[in-house]
Amino acid sequence: MFKHLFKLIWNKKKQNFLLMSEMLVSFLVIFAVFTLMVFYYSNYKKPMGLEYKNLWVASYNNSYKTNNTDSLNIFYENLRQTIKSMPQVKEISFCSENVPFSQNQWTGNVHYKNASPNADFYTVEDGYKDALNIQVLEGRWFSKGDAVTKTPAVIINNDLKEKLFGTEEALGKLIGEDEGKNKLRVVGVIQGVKVKGDYSPAKAAIYKRADTGSFHWLGKMMIKVTPDADAAFEGRLYKTLANYMKNSNVEIEHMPNKLKSANLFNIVPMIVTLIVACFLVINVALGLFGVLWYNINKRKGEIGLRRAIGASGQSVSFQLVSESLILATLSLIIGTFFAAQFPLLNVFDLQAGIYVMAIILSVIFIYLLVLVCSLYPGRQAAAIYPAVALHEE
Amino acid sequence: MIRLQNIEKVYRTDTVETLALNKVSLEIAKGEFLSVMGPSGCGKSTLLNIIGLLDEPSKGEIRIDDQKTANLSDKQLAQFRNKKLGFIFQSYHLISDLQVLDNVELPLLYRSATARERKQLATEALAKVGLSNRVKHFPSQLSGGQKQRVAIARAIVGRPEIILADEPTGNLDSAMGNEIMDILIQLNRDEGTTIIMVTHDENMAHKTHRLVRLFDGSQVQ
Repeated sequence: MFKHLFKLIWNKKKQNFLLMSEMLVSFLVIFAVFTLMVFYYSNYKKPMGLEYKNLWVASYNNSYKTNNTDSLNIFYENLRQTIKSMPQVKEISFCSENVPFSQNQWTGNVHYKNASPNADFYTVEDGYKDALNIQVLEGRWFSKGDAVTKTPAVIINNDLKEKLFGTEEALGKLIGEDEGKNKLRVVGVIQGVKVKGDYSPAKAAIYKRADTGSFHWLGKMMIKVTPDADAAFEGRLYKTLANYMKNSNVEIEHMPNKLKSANLFNIVPMIVTLIVACFLVINVALGLFGVLWYNINKRKGEIGLRRAIGASGQSVSFQLVSESLILATLSLIIGTFFAAQFPLLNVFDLQAGIYVMAIILSVIFIYLLVLVCSLYPGRQAAAIYPAVALHEE
Repeated sequence: MIRLQNIEKVYRTDTVETLALNKVSLEIAKGEFLSVMGPSGCGKSTLLNIIGLLDEPSKGEIRIDDQKTANLSDKQLAQFRNKKLGFIFQSYHLISDLQVLDNVELPLLYRSATARERKQLATEALAKVGLSNRVKHFPSQLSGGQKQRVAIARAIVGRPEIILADEPTGNLDSAMGNEIMDILIQLNRDEGTTIIMVTHDENMAHKTHRLVRLFDGSQVQ
């Protein structure tokens, strides 16, 4: 029977071309939507790489105008001690502006042999790891001893390690910044941090230790607080900072709130895409339904004949649904060929697994869509009285 | 072989009730060639549809080979039609997207026959109607007479005991009509196939064993 159906479809290829094109375009749109969804979901399932609960970030602009680095260090060291003496503060770390879940970025290329991947650069203090509860996978975090080494110590995340060294050992290797002029020694590898929220991947990152001159431009401090740190404490902390840094704009934000904002940045385009895709799918479904319905009406004579020569209502219905599914299969073969080019050509730098999963989901979706759209017309065809169908012809 | 008892068929719409067949009783013996005549709208095709189990009577009983057909399910009716009955229509009802051979094979798709068996039986049937050289043609490439011969080949490919022909020569000129009639007579004579033929043509009707006349749904001869 399938050979017969293939023959019928092949001989009607001109009539079926538009229907197949519609299925193909639908598949490609659904594939794009599923790629996005699978990408977001796979990111969501990965660890965040930091603990953001009870983590606050204080922003300030440097109000202590001095060229003397020592007195600047003493100024901020005193501030650190003042804040750390508060019972609700567990850890504090000054750092560069590009804190997690913010829109600030500082990127550059890191060089090792022939590899020069792009990475986010962070300048942080020794307390940063404990404030954010960052997990060290290999080697160690910064220590005071790193202040006196000839080659500056850096820490990279596992994404950058993979891009620079592949499966090789990273610890102790010298990597370069500024076209490879400045050499840096890798002393540790940490778990990647999803700095753009739950739905974005952890980007390759390199962490440099803040030195004595860094206070001229650092503008954030990460403060890990105890769970009982409330609004009253936040008020006291704000007053302390504002009084200490006269004429500075101080702002305190809670990291969970920043995460929500960062997530919205991803979710809103996803929702918009889904709404557009939903409308498209409804249109495609109505189109498919209409075409199949029209086909049945056009083929009433054939249906009547098949019933007369021995087809039951069920087998007529089965034939029409099968024809739709065969057409869908042919469209999906072409569609999968195009979709497979994405992982093969590494378009958009996504993992192949994401595309493969998106292809599988899109294929299932299109089959379900075609099945649902052809079931009712198929049942209607089964209900046609053969005598009536033959008479109409 | 076929026994119709007090068959009535009423078509109803919201406002009109039409009596298409009125207490028609008929017995058709195995191997008989019967023609049904009557003016347009007298119920000839309705009678043929009812005998062919394509339509249900409103009242009355049909028995084919001593088997009551009223209680058969849709699937059983389909199997019955496939094995026992062959249909020939005035407008041929060939599938335009299928080649001649594929059109003839159609009834065999609904029974357990291999592709090779289907091809062999269809080729034999086409040989019987003299169309062995047209197997790869599409219906649009054939004349009316050739199309009807394909339809006959399709009707006989499953070797049914009964052939129901609804004005098989109605769309053909007299020469072609005679050719088709000769094939039907040969089938009836050589293979013992029971044939029931609806026709408007007196000459064709007189070539059959028996003539039944209908008028306003009732049997008058």
